[in-house]
Amino acid sequence: MRRLLILNLCEGEPVNAGETRRLSVPATDEGIKAALDALEGLWAAQGVSRAVTWPMEVSLDEVLANVVRHGLAGRGESAQVELELQLDAGDPPRCEVRIADDGPEFDPLRAAAPDTSLGVDERPIGGLGIELVRRLMDEVHYERKDGRNRLRLVRRLVAMEQ
Amino acid sequence: MEIGEEKADGALVIAPVGRVDSVSSGELERHVVARLDAGARRVVIDMAGVEYISSAGLRVLLVAAKRLKPPVGALVLCGLGPSVRTVLELAGFTSLFTIEPARAQALARIEATSAS
Repeated sequence: MRRLLILNLCEGEPVNAGETRRLSVPATDEGIKAALDALEGLWAAQGVSRAVTWPMEVSLDEVLANVVRHGLAGRGESAQVELELQLDAGDPPRCEVRIADDGPEFDPLRAAAPDTSLGVDERPIGGLGIELVRRLMDEVHYERKDGRNRLRLVRRLVAMEQ
Repeated sequence: MEIGEEKADGALVIAPVGRVDSVSSGELERHVVARLDAGARRVVIDMAGVEYISSAGLRVLLVAAKRLKPPVGALVLCGLGPSVRTVLELAGFTSLFTIEPARAQALARIEATSAS
């Protein structure tokens, strides 16, 4: 109740502005590692527990793996992925990750969901990444703008409910 | 990525440490495949040291499961923390694997499987 009052008095202004980091990484394994390290750095700086941040890390890994191994594959180190990592303090904290690349148009939200009920023999290897992102995030938004894929991942940093 | 190993009662325990993501999973896959190629048939993968696993890591588990199908082989997973367990559940993987809480139970399970 008290928390609601404080938020109302602030008229929509966040109690704590939080932190945003912008970085550009090459479309390589090293780039993926640099992006995940930056995300980890954001948690460390804000004192957020890894117990609630792992869905963001898994989802960023899935999206970047797709971009690096499909969208920008074969373009070498000159191909870059633009990232904005935003952590808004609060209870719970809220994280938003924005990923932009100039690869061919690809809307992951339109990808067919895999059948997760198949057995070991029938189960194709791969194809699960996008489905995991959809299930781990509160919101996933895609838009194609100015010749770029722009994906936005949002999650309130609370423990996963089963 | 650090990968621990233990040989116990004729079974091989493989214990990756850290994040099993799209970058590090290649190393884990090469490690597991090398052991399978060398003849390992009773394998425990202990995930107690894994921070989180993404779909690239799930792929490695699936590769191992396909090659260690009974009665030729046996594969048991153990040490799943909340993040690893959640990802396996979301992917529908928990029904594909034999899962035990910790390494001791996993080794006992492998022993029982082989005896029957």
